[in-house]
Amino acid sequence: MIKVEQLSKKYNQTEVLHIEELEIPKGQSFGLVGNNGAGKTTFFSLLLDLIQPSTGHIISKDIRIDQSEDWKPFTSAFIDESFLIGYLTAEEYFYFIGELRNQSKADVDALLESFTDFFHGEILQQKKYLRDLSKGNQKKAGIVAAFIGNPEVVILDEPFANLDPTTQIRLKQIIRDLAKTKGVTVLVSSHDLSHVTEVCERIVLLDKGKVVRDMMTNEVTLQELETYFAK
Amino acid sequence: MFRRFLSFEWKQFSRSAHFQKGIAIKILLAFAALYFIVSFLALGVFSYFMLEEMQPERDPLVVVNNYLVFWFLIDLAIRFFMHQLPVMNIKPYMLIPIRRKTVIHYLLAKTTISFFTFLPLFFFVPFSIVLLTQGYTPINVIAWFFSMLFFSLSLNFLNFLINKNNAVFYTLLSILLLFAGLKYFGIYDITQAAGVFFNKFYTLWYAFSIPLLLLILLYRRNFSFMRQSFYLDDAVRKETKEASATELSFLNRFGKLAPFLKNDVKLIIRNARSKQVLLMSFLFLFYGLIFYTQDIYRDMPAFLAFASIFITGGFLLTFGQLVPSWDSEYYQLLMSQNIPYRQYLESKWLLMVVAVVVSFILSTPYLYFGWKIYGMIAAGALFNIGLNSFITLFGGALNRVPVELNVKSKAFGNTQGFNPTQMLIALPKMAGPMLIFYIPYKIINFEAGLIALALSGLLGLVFKSFFLSKIEDVYQKGKYKTIAAFDEKK
Repeated sequence: MIKVEQLSKKYNQTEVLHIEELEIPKGQSFGLVGNNGAGKTTFFSLLLDLIQPSTGHIISKDIRIDQSEDWKPFTSAFIDESFLIGYLTAEEYFYFIGELRNQSKADVDALLESFTDFFHGEILQQKKYLRDLSKGNQKKAGIVAAFIGNPEVVILDEPFANLDPTTQIRLKQIIRDLAKTKGVTVLVSSHDLSHVTEVCERIVLLDKGKVVRDMMTNEVTLQELETYFAK
Repeated sequence: MFRRFLSFEWKQFSRSAHFQKGIAIKILLAFAALYFIVSFLALGVFSYFMLEEMQPERDPLVVVNNYLVFWFLIDLAIRFFMHQLPVMNIKPYMLIPIRRKTVIHYLLAKTTISFFTFLPLFFFVPFSIVLLTQGYTPINVIAWFFSMLFFSLSLNFLNFLINKNNAVFYTLLSILLLFAGLKYFGIYDITQAAGVFFNKFYTLWYAFSIPLLLLILLYRRNFSFMRQSFYLDDAVRKETKEASATELSFLNRFGKLAPFLKNDVKLIIRNARSKQVLLMSFLFLFYGLIFYTQDIYRDMPAFLAFASIFITGGFLLTFGQLVPSWDSEYYQLLMSQNIPYRQYLESKWLLMVVAVVVSFILSTPYLYFGWKIYGMIAAGALFNIGLNSFITLFGGALNRVPVELNVKSKAFGNTQGFNPTQMLIALPKMAGPMLIFYIPYKIINFEAGLIALALSGLLGLVFKSFFLSKIEDVYQKGKYKTIAAFDEKK
């Protein structure tokens, strides 16, 4: 699904990301871990063509991301609050995204219906603009918006941060379902090692812009990660 | 403690994002400030003699006193528009062991040190000095001067008390317009009555105690208001208004443009900054009154053309120059969605065109000044629709300054959307129509000038898709730069 080739990003002379080769097959739930400044958000921004690579490129479903825009219809993401439109209510925001992704109001409503539990009654019909919601609730709205329009690739940066425990557990279930039953490729980054190991089939560990571990998740993964970061 | 506060203040000022912009802007801003200072100084120095010459039978001080009511009303209106109590600044001090009183006194005192306090001084100080040299009783002049100062400061604090209430502002504006209208048509002259009131501050020197008392009273009101709301869940909390969901389904007829149009309309009506722009563009409607009422400009039709552009172009110019900055807060979202720039731009363009048409309809009363003037406004509107809209959009595309949507912009405190490129782009917007009108006017006649101006607008419309694709190119090329620039501030 996603193929990274000789990808690097430099700011002035400092290289913040350098990935020789990375392939993410369709339907994989892919986790990215690393300390601050490891290059996680840079990688995601490159995946969304928000910044230009210094060398190399990313190919998503045979489309070179920095050359064509055809990856947009099947890719969606929630990186941070700059993906929210603060002056809209949650519903208006969902419908707007729906319209951009060729989804009718009924389609969006049907999708939102399936997230009733996840919203926990705090998102819809709140008579509040998104900018007035709490950080956690903003995040919920942003994450669900990323699921609108049947995307094949979903990118979530730090989805678990700011969420309450109940929502974290529900989100884990949702991500697993997406990858397993719907064949969606989900890319997740997190500082919480136990969350990623629970959710992701595969974990890549970045350090100073380089891939230092690339492993399929098993019982010892969490321990391995903890040992790595403890050093 | 106050000294520490002051040093923080200096850091906030010198490290703020807008201050670290290019030297060109600083110079421009300095010039703008200088311009105001010099004009007020000149007004202060010369108005006495000018008034004496114009109306030799009346005491210039009395004339000034008569008009002070308008001065203060306008002052209050501008303050309301531009000056907010910086309540949010308390938050970091809430947990620190400083007496609340100190913080509040400091905050309130700080507000008096503003552009709005100093500007009137540039008038009142020289004017008072002139009065002294002209043989007015010193003690009375000094008392009068301090009365004016206290009134001015009272307005500062009155503003914070009414600041949260928009109704007050509109009432104020209506009163202002009402008085001006009544005076203009000679029905009732408020300045006479107000003059009697303000004259007392000269004739009875001890009358200055009234504004002083008023000032103290208002200061205490502000103080107790802030004292009460010195809690996280009160004034310090950001105000949240109940959201009003609107469908705006009537916009669906625009097909592919509909989602963008709906969004833009919501953007405009739900954010402080854009509402400000909306009000500004309404005020632009009155721009013609400055030019059409004066005989000097009657013989300089090029300037009339200039004014006509502003009458219908208020929204176009103020809103348009900040496209795409309006969407800066969520630009990353837009860029990762499947959005054709064309539709995005066309939606903004359509909004601007609608605004021009609405302004044109609202400008019908200008018929009072005759068909020539009205024809000029009509030609100007066409130029705005056909050419200015594209020039403005093009200028906006080069303007990569993030806009904080829900924050009112402040006078001279905010240079968002103000840079040298913007100034360059502004040139054809202003000088263009003047030239297009002036050349055929000089060679042939007035009507030829009008037709040329109108035709240039129509011609622009013909090339609409060409212009839009050119602007699209600018967007495409600047994509990464724009994303990075919009991302910077947070």
